[in-house]
Amino acid sequence: MQRRLSPDDAAFQQRMRTYFTTEFPADLRERWSAGGEPDPEVIRAAQRRLHEDGLAVPHWPAEYGGQDWTMLQRHIYLQEMQAASVPPPLAFNANMVGPVIAAFGSQEQKDRFLPPTASLDIWWCQGFSEPDAGSDLASLRTTAVKDGDEWVVNGQKTWTTLGQHADWIFALVRTDPDAPKKQMGISFLLIEMSSPGVTVRPIQLIDGGHEVNEVFFDNVRVPADQLVGEENKGWDYAKFLLGNERVGVAPVGSIKRRLAEAKEWAGTVSTDDGTLLDDPLLAARIAELECQVLALELTVLRVAANSREGKPDPASSILKLRGSQLQQDVLELVVDIAGPAGLRWDDTSWEGLAAPTYLNFRKASIYGGSNEVQRQVISSGILGLRG
Amino acid sequence: MDFSIDSEQKALRDAVRELASRHAPQHGQGDAPVGPATHDADTWSALAEVGALGLPYPEDAGGFGASAVEVAVVASELGRAGVLTAYAESLVAGSLLAQAGHELLGDLTEGSALVVPALAEPGRAWSLASSSVQAEDSTLTGRKGPVPYADAASHVIVPATEDGALALYLVESPTVENGHVVLDSTKATRLLDASATAGALAQAVNLGTVALCAEALGTMDAATTMTVEYLKTRKQFGVPLMTFQTLTQRAADMYVSLELARSTVQFAAMAIADNPEDSATVSRTKVVTGQSGRHIGQEAIQLHGGIGMTAEYAVGHLTTRLTAIERTYGDTRQHLAALAAGLSDHGQVDVLA
Ligand SMILES: Cc1cc2nc3c(=O)[nH]c(=O)nc-3n(C[C@H](O)[C@H](O)[C@H](O)COP(=O)(O)OP(=O)(O)OC[C@H]3O[C@@H](n4cnc5c(N)ncnc54)[C@H](O)[C@@H]3O)c2cc1C
Repeated sequence: MQRRLSPDDAAFQQRMRTYFTTEFPADLRERWSAGGEPDPEVIRAAQRRLHEDGLAVPHWPAEYGGQDWTMLQRHIYLQEMQAASVPPPLAFNANMVGPVIAAFGSQEQKDRFLPPTASLDIWWCQGFSEPDAGSDLASLRTTAVKDGDEWVVNGQKTWTTLGQHADWIFALVRTDPDAPKKQMGISFLLIEMSSPGVTVRPIQLIDGGHEVNEVFFDNVRVPADQLVGEENKGWDYAKFLLGNERVGVAPVGSIKRRLAEAKEWAGTVSTDDGTLLDDPLLAARIAELECQVLALELTVLRVAANSREGKPDPASSILKLRGSQLQQDVLELVVDIAGPAGLRWDDTSWEGLAAPTYLNFRKASIYGGSNEVQRQVISSGILGLRG
Repeated sequence: MDFSIDSEQKALRDAVRELASRHAPQHGQGDAPVGPATHDADTWSALAEVGALGLPYPEDAGGFGASAVEVAVVASELGRAGVLTAYAESLVAGSLLAQAGHELLGDLTEGSALVVPALAEPGRAWSLASSSVQAEDSTLTGRKGPVPYADAASHVIVPATEDGALALYLVESPTVENGHVVLDSTKATRLLDASATAGALAQAVNLGTVALCAEALGTMDAATTMTVEYLKTRKQFGVPLMTFQTLTQRAADMYVSLELARSTVQFAAMAIADNPEDSATVSRTKVVTGQSGRHIGQEAIQLHGGIGMTAEYAVGHLTTRLTAIERTYGDTRQHLAALAAGLSDHGQVDVLA
């Protein structure tokens, strides 16, 4: 055991901090930290800049923009990025389709897709869920039927985050309806959103925003060379995509930044005898959250060191479960600090954003494998409890 | 003690249930209003027609001589249907007008005047103890807000500081900017002087808080019912979600929270009808309702999955409303703090008296 960062890692931390707080454009950080519905232009500009500076996809293979960092360094990078409210690289590109193409794609696919995926010249969205295939993803019904050297796709995806801005969608499609297990008949297909037959309908969420969509496929023709890896192996690639990460699963840096902001905000709200930060009940709650976030961050650090690169890893379920809970708890605290001012929604003040943001992040325990699914992974995958 | 309601109260409940279903928000494909509501004149006049707006005030003051029990019956039905109105606000204002013996109460109960209290202040936590609005020569200067429904209100009631103490004023046709009431040497009528204001405000907000808690009860009831139905009908892995015990046990916990809130809210309505100054019971009820509402609101979305997050489906709107109610007229923490300050006043909490 060793309590302190090595001199190298400490220097790395300083380098990241300096870059994110002084070199990365401040206006992009400000627009991101203001909150509200994400602005696609901010996301594009930020990722382009990170890519130019070699910091968009550090966990990728070196030849496509990766850095040969340790897990600890990757954690430090994320922590410093989130602490400085730098808009993170689009997860669909950097953490989902990019690693899948890098691991399972053909050489042509790597050369064609990885550079624009890293720079966000292609904006990807994730087409996994369907109306009747949520937690039970393997029951998906969107089909792709081979016709010459094309696949013909029919069906519907839903909950497609930021699909309205996307250039491409990576979709799970059923290519073998007769496979002995439904997981075995699924393929991983890359589809251009501008293809004839693709339509997108935005869905409004309870905070008023439109970050998810329904995507419909009506006889969409997709060139055969846009199927990743082997036909009918898509489920394996999807599992790889959803479960291979321990670093970055829990947004610890964002949670800590928001908690620090909450303290500042509490100090600006006056009460009959001081400010909200002097209130013992509120202060105790903040102190308790700081303990809980500490335990989470230390767990991230401890398990990151043992990562089994490339394999679905049940320990990441601990981080997803607890990370989403604490993110939600901190956002709920902010609603309480806003108090009566939060009863009016507006998208400029922190008080006005408090309630819609809290409500919006109820999603965090639903998407990416719900918290019930995460508990299932922990109980069966780690504890061996298979009833 | 008897928790059942009589035939007249049942008739009121049925009438409000019917009108609430007529005025309930419609959800389907496409955008819907989200967040805080705007005033809907049609719903409001329907409530006036069934007599809901004048229930708790004495007949000689222009009311219908019923009580907080009837108020709770009405508010629960509005909550169940997800109908958002200024009912609690109007009750706080009406109680203040009744205590001041002001004739505007007649217009309030008929629905021709919409009167709301202006209690919150920018940059300040919820408090009834002070106001930065200054009163001088029957004019007010300062800012209150956000004030729900201020933009539709014909009148607002404003606590203001006068010679170092709080007094209550009535302002007609208030100037409203972004939901805040702006007072700049604005003419106002004094309703109550410093000797009566604190007690009157406490009583009025007690009544409004019971109405809010009853609305929350109806909202929780609807959210729990919808979630139970969803677990029966939504299929994943080839079976209804109710096959998974982890989900049915959580539905059971929601039901427990709901029933605890129901008992407490019904008791609070009786307690306030009996003693309008019983702020401790109101605070306990606000805490129980706040905690039940938080639990049920969060679980209702979670057990629905993605569909619970959308504005196209009702359950998320119910959670939105429960979130707002928990922060109206003092949040859970503030009511706990008020109760904590009074712990040495009693050995046990007696409900049988
Ligand atoms: C804001 C948001 C963004 C999203 N973005 C995307 C995206 O970009 N791309 C994409 O493909 N998908 C996306 N999703 C979809 C997300 O992955 C699904 O919502 C999730 O898989 C849950 O599926 P469901 O909504 O159909 O709920 P259901 O699967 O119907 O689940 C309903 C409830 O039942 C529970 N449950 C289900 N099965 C079990 C079981 N066996 N045991 C115990 N509990 C169970 C669930 O945990 C949940 O509480 C997004 C969702 C949201 C809310």
